[in-house]
Amino acid sequence: MGVIEKVPAYIERIPGGGIVTTSMDWVLNESRASSMWYMLFGLACCAIEMMATGASRYDFDRFGMIFRASPRQSDLMFVAGTVTHKMAKRVKVLHEQMAEPRYVIAMGGCACNGGPFYYDCYSVLKGIDKVIPVDVYIPGCPPRPESLMQGCIKLQEKIKREKLSDWASDRPMPDRTIV
Amino acid sequence: MTKEEIAIKLKDKFGSELEILETNQPEAYVYISPARYHELCQFLKEAPEFDFDYLFQLGGVHYPEDRFELVLCFSSHERRHNMILKVKLDKDNPQIVTTSDIWMAANWYEREAAELFGIKFVGHPDPRHLLLDDDWDSGYPLRKGWTGPDFISMPEK
Repeated sequence: MGVIEKVPAYIERIPGGGIVTTSMDWVLNESRASSMWYMLFGLACCAIEMMATGASRYDFDRFGMIFRASPRQSDLMFVAGTVTHKMAKRVKVLHEQMAEPRYVIAMGGCACNGGPFYYDCYSVLKGIDKVIPVDVYIPGCPPRPESLMQGCIKLQEKIKREKLSDWASDRPMPDRTIV
Repeated sequence: MTKEEIAIKLKDKFGSELEILETNQPEAYVYISPARYHELCQFLKEAPEFDFDYLFQLGGVHYPEDRFELVLCFSSHERRHNMILKVKLDKDNPQIVTTSDIWMAANWYEREAAELFGIKFVGHPDPRHLLLDDDWDSGYPLRKGWTGPDFISMPEK
């Protein structure tokens, strides 16, 4: 219901003849933001919290989010857990296998900047943003499902700000969000 | 066997090449010279009164002043006794013969000690990296004082 009510108000606010373009933006962004399928992929203990969020108590389906067991069909990657140097290469390959537009949420302290492994550690990458671009950072060790869902809402807000022309040109995407 | 019985029997056989550590631990702690390390391991595995058929830990220790040490922990399923065996290795060129022909478990443990401490296991059947990446070339990370490309040590308080 909410979506239907929003549409005419949104179009009315647009002055002049730009209705078709802006509407395409709105339609595409709304549908993309409402069905972010995330990759079935977890690295460490944060993945347990991600599974809890996906299960019935917290219920990711409310956002239209379900997991896909293939990077080719996913829009969103949760980097859920400690990324070792060895694993970082595999994560990068998985990210490249996802089709554009693709989004990345760094979940937990380890994925944001190395977390508890920041000092005196030879094996852990200090933040997944050294390897792939990140849209939303969620700190916590691990973040509670509520934080994860807030991160997803932030990502939806970010997707709804995007324009078709952003993808057509090489213009940089809107800024990173820290929840 | 109690740890005292193990110590006496081993001392009888290996004499001055073997040193018993006095501890308050329940297991016997034994130092062996590198020259008779393999022989002792073979003996511990095969002698029926010892019957150490289960190697459950093999690791390295780096003492940056003077030595490396190899620590082996094994137990016997049948006789229910444990034992800790230690070998002192050279500071600059740590090298020891492999025991993977005695305990199969030693194969992976030795690969791990080799990549993390730089201990060379002579005669190892499969000397590849175990945990580190195949193209790792930043040295031996568990040695004291090691630093790597993006290694950050804990600042002084």
